Amino acid sequence: MTQPAVLELRSVSKSFAATQALRDMSLQVLPGEVHAIVGENGAGKSTLIKIMTGVYQPDGGEIICDGQPVTLRSTQEAQAAGIAAIYQEPMVFPDLNVAENIFISNRTKGAFMRWSELYREAVALIAQLGVTLDVRRAASGLTLAEQQTVEIARALSLSVKVLIMDEPTASLSAHEVARLLAIARALKDRGVAVIYISHRLDEIFRIADRVTVIRDGQHISTRPIAEVTEDGLVHDMVGRALESFAVKTAANPHGEVALSVKGLGRAGVFHGISFDLAKGEVLCLAGLVGARRTDVALALFGIAPATEGQISLDGQHVAIRTPRQAMDLGLAYVSEDRRKLGLAMALPVFVNISLASLRKLLGTFGLIDRKAEAAMAERYRQQLAIRAPDSATEVGKLSGGNQQKVMLAKWLETRPRILIFDEPTRGIDVGAKAEVHGIIRALAAEGVAVLVISSDLPEVLALADRVLVMREGRQAGILPIEEATQERVIGLAAGQSSGKGERTAA
Amino acid sequence: MRALKSWEGGLALVFVLTLAWNAAFAPEFLTVQNQINLFQLSIEKIIVALVMTLIIINAEIDLSVASVMGLSAAVFGYLVNNGWGGGTAIALCLGVGLAAGLVNATLSARFGIPSLVVTLAMLIAFRGLARVLVKDNSLGGFPGWVTDLGQKGLVGPVPLSLVLFVLLLAVLWVLLHRTGFGRQVVVIGTNAEVARFSGLNVGRVKAVLFVMSSTVAALAGVLYAARLGSVRGDSALGFELDIITMVLMGGVSIFGGKGSMAGVLLSILIILNLRNGMALMNITGHIQTGVIGVLLIASVLLPNIVSDLRVRRARS
Repeated sequence: MTQPAVLELRSVSKSFAATQALRDMSLQVLPGEVHAIVGENGAGKSTLIKIMTGVYQPDGGEIICDGQPVTLRSTQEAQAAGIAAIYQEPMVFPDLNVAENIFISNRTKGAFMRWSELYREAVALIAQLGVTLDVRRAASGLTLAEQQTVEIARALSLSVKVLIMDEPTASLSAHEVARLLAIARALKDRGVAVIYISHRLDEIFRIADRVTVIRDGQHISTRPIAEVTEDGLVHDMVGRALESFAVKTAANPHGEVALSVKGLGRAGVFHGISFDLAKGEVLCLAGLVGARRTDVALALFGIAPATEGQISLDGQHVAIRTPRQAMDLGLAYVSEDRRKLGLAMALPVFVNISLASLRKLLGTFGLIDRKAEAAMAERYRQQLAIRAPDSATEVGKLSGGNQQKVMLAKWLETRPRILIFDEPTRGIDVGAKAEVHGIIRALAAEGVAVLVISSDLPEVLALADRVLVMREGRQAGILPIEEATQERVIGLAAGQSSGKGERTAA
Repeated sequence: MRALKSWEGGLALVFVLTLAWNAAFAPEFLTVQNQINLFQLSIEKIIVALVMTLIIINAEIDLSVASVMGLSAAVFGYLVNNGWGGGTAIALCLGVGLAAGLVNATLSARFGIPSLVVTLAMLIAFRGLARVLVKDNSLGGFPGWVTDLGQKGLVGPVPLSLVLFVLLLAVLWVLLHRTGFGRQVVVIGTNAEVARFSGLNVGRVKAVLFVMSSTVAALAGVLYAARLGSVRGDSALGFELDIITMVLMGGVSIFGGKGSMAGVLLSILIILNLRNGMALMNITGHIQTGVIGVLLIASVLLPNIVSDLRVRRARS
């Protein structure tokens, strides 16, 4: 580690109005290393990235590139200095093909293009990443993971020296994650420094050479990965020891069956889903992205009703056609997509919290009891420790974890008996994650039947009493938690030999 | 919310300036009769604008309102001239409005065709019906009670139409800002999918609004026929643009979710007072329209410029 740093920050600070986003931040990035940066939401990671990519200018301190102090006034200047970033949501032009997307920002080619040369170079770049991808394919048909590959190739075409990956795996399936990590290794072998930002600690342990923890805008530690443990990392991130990810209360296997599903399906989408969910039980739906787990939830909640099979609640057959009907039957569905399906981002916290139970607040002539509404919002703000200045704040201005809590409050207020969580902790930091897990277990302890869809396997194993694994729209098996190991679940999800202990629902 | 308040603050300031300017340069401006005239000349448009406010906040649009007004006016003229009684004629006209609203609601809320397309088609269709009914003639020579209805003072010198406007304003103000229905309108306008995933009946709310819009437009059509005392095939032609202008200048976002009755009321007052003041000062109609066009452009640009400045200040 005696080689000179390719990128160095010295005592960089940045503040916005009253908030100090970064203070006295120093960081050395070495060529050919994968340098992970971790920290809670709001720790200053985004500001740090924006300073390194020229979006923000630091108030103080120095940025040193290859031993030379530099000023990065724009992303173009950062690119010229060899620094580029890819994000969770890749930026590709859907109407252009892969090769055109790769060279979109390459202005060295002159006014006319030699297409044969362009395609040859694109093939070479993709090959360097160790993946196969047809460079003549239209970008509109690419998966998220393939779009990221295009972005990385684009960065390579600009002879990038430092590539920042910001939460690149948040929406990827397990094998896509593996492929992305392989790409990161390929980059590293070519001497590119990779700055890797992720909430998923297991990935960091798989890929990183060194890991830097930041908290409250300050550098806390930088250590070789071999010298850190997961607990130590979490401790550094939150500044205190966290109780284990989820405190599992004794499962309640003898509770009455709240929800029973037999042969549930929706034509052309999923088929043959059967399970019993008891009061106080947490059943997790595991599977790869595309296993159609969310579609099962949408059928139960009446958004895209089932076309086959039976649903029984407390022993009564029901046909659920609309969300309203599902809610009246005591179901709630906490969506995976806060921005598009979960919260009205431009509206205040209190409006979002009361949204699903507005009826309770209506008096004569349908007038809203505004005092009761404010009290409701205030109660949840304190109970769930939602960090917002007041409940009139726009939800969109809160951090991801706090938005998640607002969404939770909205559904808790409907007093559901069966609560479906779809990716309850996606994109939120470890502290908030532990809080959400605590809430889920507490609900189960109170007798709520809980269905959790999660792609985060450690989360599944920490939360579930039983795990239902889906594969390509079908039920691959149900495992009691004692039999559910990462290997078994992944095996079922990916369709390897399913093992002898596989069970299906009674 | 704060930006919204400041938008209304800006409108209030412009309104006060308009009043001061008019009062200073047009001596007749402050007379009671002029104040009533000022409303009367556009009364049908401003009545329809109140419902349009809810529709646009709901992230929809109703382009067919002026054609519904025209059709309703034509039906009214036809019935009255054929000896029908006032109550029956008005009820039938409201029925025409209700039916038109149901067509809009069914096509857009139920079958999911964008309301821009549906109501554009209905703008053409209803106008066509009105022209078929009236042909190239104009219907006129109504009995005396009709013109009384349109022009005579109901409360002192204040005519029926202005009373209706004030009542509707109060009802819709409460409906939008204080009731569960109004809350649903706003949430659906902000994000209809979020509303659906929260158990709201998105289609029903939209349907109610379209029916409300066409019914009120039909009522406005009757008032228009009664006030002018004659109806032609092109009565109320193009009014939808003036109506939408009033709503947008009131700070209602064309993308839905944002807007208030206070803003639209102020916008209406500004437009009416500007037109009235300029008319009293013998400024021609073309220039009046030009001034209002400039105001509209400014009202669209200004919020963008302000937010742009804020972003820049945050960055530096």
